[in-house]
Amino acid sequence: MKRFIILVFAGLGFQAQAQDLDSLLNISAYTQESELQEQLNHATTVASGKALTTRETPGILSVVTADEIQKAGARDLTDILRLIPGFDIAQDLQFVVGAGMRGNWANDGKILILLNGFPMNDLLYQKNALLNHFPVDFIERIEIIRGPGSALYGGSAEYGVINIITKSTESLNGIAVTGAGGVSRDSLGRANAGVMAVQHGKNMSWDISAYKGKSIVSDQSYQNMSKRGPAQDLRRTSYADPVNMNLGLQYKNLSFRTMYDTYDVSEPSVKTSFQQYFATLKYDWKVAQKITITPQIMFTHQTPWSTWNKSTNAYTFRTQASRVTGNLLVNYDVSRKININAGALYYHDKAEDLLKSNHYNGSNYMNLYNYAVFAQGLLVHRLANVTLGFRYEKNSRTDGAFVPRLALTKKIENFHFKALYSEAFRTPSIENIVLAQNGKISPERTHVFELEVGYQFTPEMLIAVNGFSLNNHNAIIYANEEQMDGSFISYYSNYSKTGTQGIEAIYSIRKKKWYVNLSYSYARPVQGNTVTSYTISLSDKQYLGMLSHKVTLNSNVTLIKGLSLNPSVIVGSKRYTYTPNLGPPAEGTLPAYTLVNAFLRYEPASLPFTIGAGVYDLLNQRPAIPQAYDGDYAAIPGKSREYILKLSYQFNFAKK
Amino acid sequence: MKNKRNFFFILILIASFHAHAQTTNYQSYAVLIHGLIKYSAWPNQQSEFKITVLGNSKAYSEMEKSLAGKNINGHTIRVDKAEDIAGIQGADIVYISEGKSNAIQEVVKATTNAAAIIITEREGLVRKGAGISFIIVDNKLRFDINNTDLEKRQIKVSAQFASLANETL
Repeated sequence: MKRFIILVFAGLGFQAQAQDLDSLLNISAYTQESELQEQLNHATTVASGKALTTRETPGILSVVTADEIQKAGARDLTDILRLIPGFDIAQDLQFVVGAGMRGNWANDGKILILLNGFPMNDLLYQKNALLNHFPVDFIERIEIIRGPGSALYGGSAEYGVINIITKSTESLNGIAVTGAGGVSRDSLGRANAGVMAVQHGKNMSWDISAYKGKSIVSDQSYQNMSKRGPAQDLRRTSYADPVNMNLGLQYKNLSFRTMYDTYDVSEPSVKTSFQQYFATLKYDWKVAQKITITPQIMFTHQTPWSTWNKSTNAYTFRTQASRVTGNLLVNYDVSRKININAGALYYHDKAEDLLKSNHYNGSNYMNLYNYAVFAQGLLVHRLANVTLGFRYEKNSRTDGAFVPRLALTKKIENFHFKALYSEAFRTPSIENIVLAQNGKISPERTHVFELEVGYQFTPEMLIAVNGFSLNNHNAIIYANEEQMDGSFISYYSNYSKTGTQGIEAIYSIRKKKWYVNLSYSYARPVQGNTVTSYTISLSDKQYLGMLSHKVTLNSNVTLIKGLSLNPSVIVGSKRYTYTPNLGPPAEGTLPAYTLVNAFLRYEPASLPFTIGAGVYDLLNQRPAIPQAYDGDYAAIPGKSREYILKLSYQFNFAKK
Repeated sequence: MKNKRNFFFILILIASFHAHAQTTNYQSYAVLIHGLIKYSAWPNQQSEFKITVLGNSKAYSEMEKSLAGKNINGHTIRVDKAEDIAGIQGADIVYISEGKSNAIQEVVKATTNAAAIIITEREGLVRKGAGISFIIVDNKLRFDINNTDLEKRQIKVSAQFASLANETL
């Protein structure tokens, strides 16, 4: 930038007799970037084959940087997602907390979470567990597609994609140690710690990290839905404990990564464990200047949803699943204006019932063979960038799914627009297939229209508003039916329609010494929803457990050099839930809430450590986490006000 | 009435934000044009060197601010603005703004055999008879050059400057 300024002055003053001609190659076409513009101009490939800026990428995108995560003092991924328009959290079952999106329950295989490229959704149900799971202090950037991503990412990216990139793959070149502790009421709310080492060389780079955490799910008392037995103190009976280990090696264009991840979550009567191991090898082969071919193999081994009954001291569900994936991707810059990104993949899923209960239709094993082909074309034109793509995916047990995608995006000076039409799908997972009602289940299909307009009033200020219409057909829904003998039968079946419509708006202003991100989101159910387990008779304006309106504010102000204060506010409208009752569950309302948080962070320039302290839920409103469907779980009582302390130390290796 | 006043206040506020919201760096267009003049030679060049901007472009005010009245290679630069083809007569450089890009054929016709470089803000117009078209590559301002057209017009652009082109025809 300094060189550019010198050049401009030289050019404007016309005093330079011997103009450095080479420097004319480096004249920025745009005025000096503000911090906001730097963010907006950051090119990403999360929604396209070719890197495009966030304002032109063919998806409604939110990007959260390490700086924002650190300054906000986020305790876990749920703190970050709650600040994103349209996102919310809700309980799946057994105190596993997942994401809701745009007013829909989305943990049921509809949101793909990638951690350094590894899909974190479990192979049996395609779900995720969010609460105190991911190592937030190691995150470099989170790219969130708040819309369908199936054409690029396949059958578990129907409503959205959360792409988490840790520092291990990007910015750090040294050793970082982090620790976070939280106290709520008179109990230790959480204690998380991790260490990471990264070294970048000219040809070879490596990174290694380890992270371990301990947390309670809540510090309140919990009454189960049927009111059998006394209320339980969750300080003693609940926890959410993660372990994550990551190793990455890169030699020139060849990269290897492996990860081990476990997560144990407990409610008063049941403990649920997730254990997973990943490994991948990838090579970016530059066939020609404009063509890159990337072959990749990936191995995944999981034991998800292992369910341990605390009263009988026995597993009630324990299954391991594995996946071997072979993937070939071609990226071809046909010209400056045309890019083609295409690929094919094949994967084999295998499940084994470790309890030997013949869970898989009389067998202890089940196999699924899947293949997919996909292609995206991007045409950069002065009127609009046009993205056209499709994906076809098929597994050996169910029908195939073909999803097309069309996107028009353009930034014209300060204005930008995005008009997007995408079809998306959810592939029936192993358990969806084995528990299919009458043995038949079809892929779920979603049609999404999105329109976004944005205007940058000043280099530091942006407003963007988008509307969406999301129509899901053939929704794969879980049901639980009580039999005459008191036993339960669980099954999955397709429901004809569900979905939402709504709007989201963001306002960002980013000055040198302070910033404010303000957002509003609204969603309401589509006409003709047939998924009864998402509804409640108290309201037809929103789904069970989901928010209708949400306002968020995330801000930062530098008090003195190195010391910043970061207040954030999340206002959620009332929600509906089933509440504990001696008879059938009763319908109830969870009141609107205002979560006020503040974090003070000190980062001395001359010292290698940072220290931060803050308070979450200052007003002690304790918003509960309701179950997002009619599934016989009472809402998890919200954790009370939590005081947080965070410490980190970073040692940088000398540059070679 | 009060609502109306608030509305106008907001409009003025937005307009004032807009005034400071330039994101394209038009100074850089002026810098490259300065380089072009400095490293090129026109046949039978008069003491006054005339740049005419056809249509509305913020590059005009930047060139007027930084080039007008300056002396480059012994020639005094004059920057004019024209709304139609009639106004481009006698120009050494015709700068076609984005909004007038569709007039390229008319400009080419009106300057046939004239020693004038047609520069376009819109990329790709070198293929339609312009001498130079600006293009943004990786957020940097670059240009494509049509040497065939320039040679026809007997304008000599130095090899060093021409080598900076993103694409040469």
